[in-house]
This record gives sequence, C-alpha cells and structure tokens, in this order.
Amino acid sequence: MPRASLRDMSLVFLRIGNTTLGGGDPTIAALQRELIRRGWITQEQFALAFALARITPGTNMLAFSAAAGWYIFGLAGALGAVLAVTIPSSLLVVWLTGIYGAGTQIRWLGAVVASTIAAALGIMIAAALTLIRSQIIANNRWVIPLLIAGGAFGLRFVGLTPLEIIALAGVAGLFWRP
Amino acid sequence: MTSFSGLASLPVLRSDLVIRYHVLTDAQLNTAVAAGRMGPGPVGNYVVSVGYQIGGYPGAAAGWLAMITPAFVIIVLLRFVGRRAEHPRVRGMIRAITLAGAGLLLAAAVPLAREAIHGPLPFVIASASLLLSLLTKIDSIWVVLGAALAGLLAFYL
Repeated sequence: MPRASLRDMSLVFLRIGNTTLGGGDPTIAALQRELIRRGWITQEQFALAFALARITPGTNMLAFSAAAGWYIFGLAGALGAVLAVTIPSSLLVVWLTGIYGAGTQIRWLGAVVASTIAAALGIMIAAALTLIRSQIIANNRWVIPLLIAGGAFGLRFVGLTPLEIIALAGVAGLFWRP
Repeated sequence: MTSFSGLASLPVLRSDLVIRYHVLTDAQLNTAVAAGRMGPGPVGNYVVSVGYQIGGYPGAAAGWLAMITPAFVIIVLLRFVGRRAEHPRVRGMIRAITLAGAGLLLAAAVPLAREAIHGPLPFVIASASLLLSLLTKIDSIWVVLGAALAGLLAFYL
C-alpha cells in the first residue's frame, strides 16, 4: 500500500472534511472515495471503520476520521485527521453563529449551499453503491438485498435507531458464513 | 457524550442547558443547529456553537473538545476487533454491519434529497455528481466546487 506522509493525509481530511456540506454521512462518503482511490486504506478497513464508527459514542464522522487516520498513521494519524476535520469547520460554525444570531440573510450563500448539498447527495449514493459492490460474493447474494433493505426500512418506517439496526445486523452476521 | 450520532445529543443538552441551568435559550439552540447544518463537516458541530453562545471563544473550545474526545474510543474498538478479524464469525459480522450501514446511507439520502432537490438544477447536480463519483476518478472537491459554481451562476442569471 502506498505510504502517505502525515501532511498529505491531513490535507485530504482538511479539504474533504471542510468542504462537504450536508452532515457527517456525505462527508464519510467523500472521504471513502478519496482514501481508497489513493490506496491509503483498503475497502475492508473502510468497512470496519465505518461499522465501528456507528457504535462509537459521539459524532460518527469524527470516529470514522480517527479510525481511518489510525490505519494510515497510527495515533498521530488519528489525531491529525480529527484536528484537520474539526478545527476549520468549528471556526466556521462560530462565524455562522454570529451571522444567524444577528438575523442576517445572505441569499447567494443559500443558493451555493443548496447546490453543494445536492452534490453531496450524489456522492453519498455513489458511496453506498460502492460499499455494496465491495461486499458482493458469489454464493450468498440473496442475503445482501435483505440486509440493505432491512437497514434502510428499519430506519425509515419501523423507527429503529441506527445503533439498533447495526446491532441487529451484527447478530445476523454471526450466523452468516461467507 | 451519551449519544451516537449527529443531533442525538440535542434533547440531553436541551434539558441540561435550557431547562435546568438556564444558560441557553431555545432560540440560541436553534441558531446553533442551523449553524451546524449550514457549515461543512458533521452536524455535531452545533455543540461548538452552543459553547460559543454560552462562553465565547473559551466556550467554543470546550464544545469542540467535548465533540472530538469520544471519537478516539474507536481506536480501542479497532484494536480489539482487528485481532479477531480473521475469525469467520467476526468476518460475517463485519460484512453484515457494512451492508446494513450501506442501507443506512441510502436511507439518510432520502431526507437529504427532500431538503436539497427543489427543481431541475439540484436534480441535475445530484445526478451528475453520482455519475462522476461512480464512473470517474475525479477528486471529490471538484464535484463539490463545480456544484457551488453552478448554484452561484444560476442565482445570478
């Protein structure tokens, strides 16, 4: 696997973490694409980091960044990734708080935000498809649509929390021999 | 942090800060959520805004620390699971969790789409970014910046 320098790695987290709008999931999706494309983490490492981030307390996306950074550069990588992702966006949030608190409306900013959220939506769907493609194995195809549908419908219509869905999937996986 | 995603900590924060300690108003909390959603990165960023409104920059720093600290718990989990990753049951579990996670991503796309897709332009942008992400190796930042530019052009034309 090509080795990245700590600086290169932090720069990727800095760029993706602070330009992807729409919340944690689209950001994870964009990070997945960039980290795997560069060969810094494998699809399997991503899957594990993604799954464990869901069951880590606090913000999933930061747990994911810590995990990915840890794979690439150990503890320094984890720290670098989390700092790169949070510092600029936190400063921006403080600034936005000032704007909102003053009741200011910036109309062109609204147009830009709506467009970038639409882009994040496309990136996110692509990430979900890539994730599914990575797990397709020859003889167990029928389980796959079942688990995906279970995850999606459990959340939207049954009202299960993501944590409960992940736990259920984990238990199902215990009895699933690929 | 007792919560597991995005805004899950909101009710806890509200009952403590707004109702119990009266250091924050509901309007300020709404501002925080709006600022967290508007900015890049995790929605959980709203905690930084809450901190800022209560205690200025030191408060923001405290909110930031509260936000990032739990993330490092995952390293313990990774080490624990990593040592057992070759076990077939663990492999099955990881596989199942990954697929359920993909389902969760798709489910999360629904409210995001409802919020973002108004009219043809966002639809075109979302479709284009989906295709670019799937079929090309283009850096994601260009997809996002291109979308921002398209939005800006459409606004002024």
